[in-house]
Amino acid sequence: MGPNASPSTQPGAPLPYVDHFSLDPADLRKILDLALGSGGDFAEIYMEHGTYDFVNMEEDIIKETAESVSLGLGVRVLAGDKTGFGYTNDLSLEKIRKAALAASAIAAGKAKARPARFREKPLKKSVYPVSTPANKAGLKKKIGLVEEAYVAAQKFDGRIAKVKSYFQDSLSHIAILNSDGLFVRDTRPMVKLVCVAISEQRGRREFGFWGGGGRVGLEYFGDVLTPRDIGEQAAREAVLLLEAADAPAGEMPIVLSPGHSGVLIHEAVGHLLEADFNRKKTSIFWNKMGKKVGSDLVTIYDDPRIPAFRGSYNVDDEGTAPRRTLLIEKGVVRGFLQDRLSARLMGQPMTGHGRRQDYSHGPIPRMANTYIDRGQYAPEEIVKSVKRGFYVASLSGGQVEDSGKFTFSVSLGYLIEDGKLTAPVRQATLIGTNIDILKRIDMAGSDLRFGLQTGTCSKEGQDVPVADGCPTLKISKMTVGGRT
Amino acid sequence: MREARAASRPSDLRALAETLVAFAAKCGADEAEVSVVDGREFDVDVRKGRIENLVEAGSRTCGLKVIKDKRTAYASSSDLVPETLRRLVRNAVRRAELASPDEFAGQAPRSIKLVDPAALDLFDPEIAGLDSKTKIGLARETERIALSDKRITNSHGANFGTNEIRSVLVLSNGFVGEFEQTYCELSVGLQAGETDSRVEDSWFSAKRHFKKLAAPEEVARRAVERTVRQLRPRKLRTQNVPVIFEPTQTSWLMAFLFACVSGTAVYQKATFLAGKLGEKIGNGLVTVVDDGLLPGELGSRPFDSDGLPAQKTTVVERGVLKNYLCNIYAARKLQLESTGNADGGGVSPNNFFLEPGTLAPRDIISETKKGLILTRTLGHGLNSVSGDISRGAFGLWVENGELAYPVSEITISGNLGRILNDIEAVGNDLEFFSPVTGPTIKVAEMTVAGT
Repeated sequence: MGPNASPSTQPGAPLPYVDHFSLDPADLRKILDLALGSGGDFAEIYMEHGTYDFVNMEEDIIKETAESVSLGLGVRVLAGDKTGFGYTNDLSLEKIRKAALAASAIAAGKAKARPARFREKPLKKSVYPVSTPANKAGLKKKIGLVEEAYVAAQKFDGRIAKVKSYFQDSLSHIAILNSDGLFVRDTRPMVKLVCVAISEQRGRREFGFWGGGGRVGLEYFGDVLTPRDIGEQAAREAVLLLEAADAPAGEMPIVLSPGHSGVLIHEAVGHLLEADFNRKKTSIFWNKMGKKVGSDLVTIYDDPRIPAFRGSYNVDDEGTAPRRTLLIEKGVVRGFLQDRLSARLMGQPMTGHGRRQDYSHGPIPRMANTYIDRGQYAPEEIVKSVKRGFYVASLSGGQVEDSGKFTFSVSLGYLIEDGKLTAPVRQATLIGTNIDILKRIDMAGSDLRFGLQTGTCSKEGQDVPVADGCPTLKISKMTVGGRT
Repeated sequence: MREARAASRPSDLRALAETLVAFAAKCGADEAEVSVVDGREFDVDVRKGRIENLVEAGSRTCGLKVIKDKRTAYASSSDLVPETLRRLVRNAVRRAELASPDEFAGQAPRSIKLVDPAALDLFDPEIAGLDSKTKIGLARETERIALSDKRITNSHGANFGTNEIRSVLVLSNGFVGEFEQTYCELSVGLQAGETDSRVEDSWFSAKRHFKKLAAPEEVARRAVERTVRQLRPRKLRTQNVPVIFEPTQTSWLMAFLFACVSGTAVYQKATFLAGKLGEKIGNGLVTVVDDGLLPGELGSRPFDSDGLPAQKTTVVERGVLKNYLCNIYAARKLQLESTGNADGGGVSPNNFFLEPGTLAPRDIISETKKGLILTRTLGHGLNSVSGDISRGAFGLWVENGELAYPVSEITISGNLGRILNDIEAVGNDLEFFSPVTGPTIKVAEMTVAGT
């Protein structure tokens, strides 16, 4: 059943997901009972059945295809601030019981709570607008997309030496049942088409990357971003970098491009507003709720309900309906990204940001689609205001630690000289401390955009899809690590 | 417990793999290979003396590859129900027809050389026998010792985890391999200083044998030492200076070098070292080896995913690039021999390391007039196509051979090609704390950017 078939669960419909896992709700309730048997105060079952397809092209051939099935079930037990977790990919009742017993061991004592009767929770309008489901399309169609991107990159310029492109899609059925009686299910689609182009000139090699996708169907590659655009953009960046100079080094004003620079907000600010780091007081923000930490121009949201986005979901991985969450308002900390455990321990409402990589991991607070809100300046005005500085065109990734220190890798930048973008610049690193950067954002553009729909975020060994965005931003001073 | 052990008797995993290989042939595959992995996992996080997370689980996965008319298809599943697996095999044979013929695809001829898994000493029965109390106690004790140091102001928690893994690989060329391995790891992450001027670091010990694991005292001591030495950091002015890499830093530099000598990257021209075989790429101090045969080490294995025996390969010998690391596919592409580094569809390192030199790390420091000891890096910033390196960094400033003060909010940048030629000193402190490793090294000059 395609994700488009039911934007929300039909009331009164049978329980296809439970059928899907060939498990009886009555048995699952017994499992929760068993999980609570040692005195845990909350128990949960997370079931997942996913299928995944992959096609890649390199060296001018469709090199391989892959298909993968992921089936499994995780049982979680909470006892105060402690978590017990067991999982299995053998869905026999015997193995599920074993997983429940492993999870129950976090508590030591007699059962205190009994699981409530399940009430299915209907979902709001789906945020997965699919009209041509990828799982229904034939492999030939997917091969066509990969070839189109590949050929577009190859033909773009004579200096393109190598191209790789790949397509992947997945469809994941999940069902969550807990001892509060919650029962919720979701079917999540995902597609992604990516192209990498390598250029070569006089012994120098550079690479360019482009891609797109999200929780959409194949119609996306006609309506929103064509395979040809993806191939050409990858090639364009690879060729441009052949002419790029080494980055400057030292402190200077920085202008961040809209969309692509959203990863900076994700790393520098988003992670440290995840509730677990604040509950544990390891984040620099733990004692700053209601306090001013940035300039008036800084307003940051995380919204898991933006239709079609990679980071979006109808329900989080603990069964909570997600909502757009205000994190920073005009420079003042207003909220954290909560999951069930942190919300409970901090006495805060859940925000629907409890996510997990798959059934073999417990949920933790995560970002979904994070963005800094628009300002009022025209982007040109912002560049014009800089006499000598650095313009960040595309970022390839970043990392942060709880103390607030972060870095970003800039794959393509430009020098700003007398208010104009001049020479392209390659491979630089930006480094800073988040509080300093938030205070130094002194201009924000009216051009809020989101970056490529290809991003994945890692935390504690768990990868989840995310998206991020921002308008053109100026940071008055930041350290650029290039060469001297 | 008894059930799980009975279920993982060697025969039934091997029988499953053999059945699937035979089924693939019946479905029309010219060649097939099937791997089955059966793992048991234990993991505990302790923070501020309390258990935060306790995970115990067992899982199995199956991977398969079929080739028909030189066309390849892969599949994998965590659903090991026979019906699902048979469907995946049938689909794979059908999907293979849609891929392009690839003259380089295909299994290696079955090797007559075999490595005895027992000789590699990869399995420690003691790990399977550890009780939960001991395991939780190790994490708790490590954190307790670390937190007893007054300079430590917060904890990311301590972790102890174990894995027991049985792997089976069956190829239609007649290869059948099976081995068991274990793994255990103890770690702790710490913070020092006040909220707005915090520093953090961690330390760990990871081994295949429980007896070789560092004691809680040792892990705690090193984590504390690494954390507090960063307190009250200064910024630096942008400059070019010698940079001393601690072993943990040489380790990522070697991981980057691995990415640049991987046969896959070479035939894809995704590395600056493509076309450089036999050439001098570094100075005489640089000898790099990949060795899958070191008994008891983390990167050792009896055979790779092509079913070829592990071996020792000299990658760089006194600065000369001697070998790329290849699976059978990359080897054919490059007209080389496989080095036994196949891993899934790609290439991965075994124990990949820079050979140690003779200098004690403290002598390397004491002979440095002015420079940076690199202790930690943040971010990605590694470009194998160009060899460029640009990362956020933390370190200790050296003046007149002595540690002067910690530094942060800096970046280091350079190029791997240049670094391999600029290594001035190699330490004698090689340790296999991870499969990819190296001793302390000193690089003559890199750009350190600050204010």
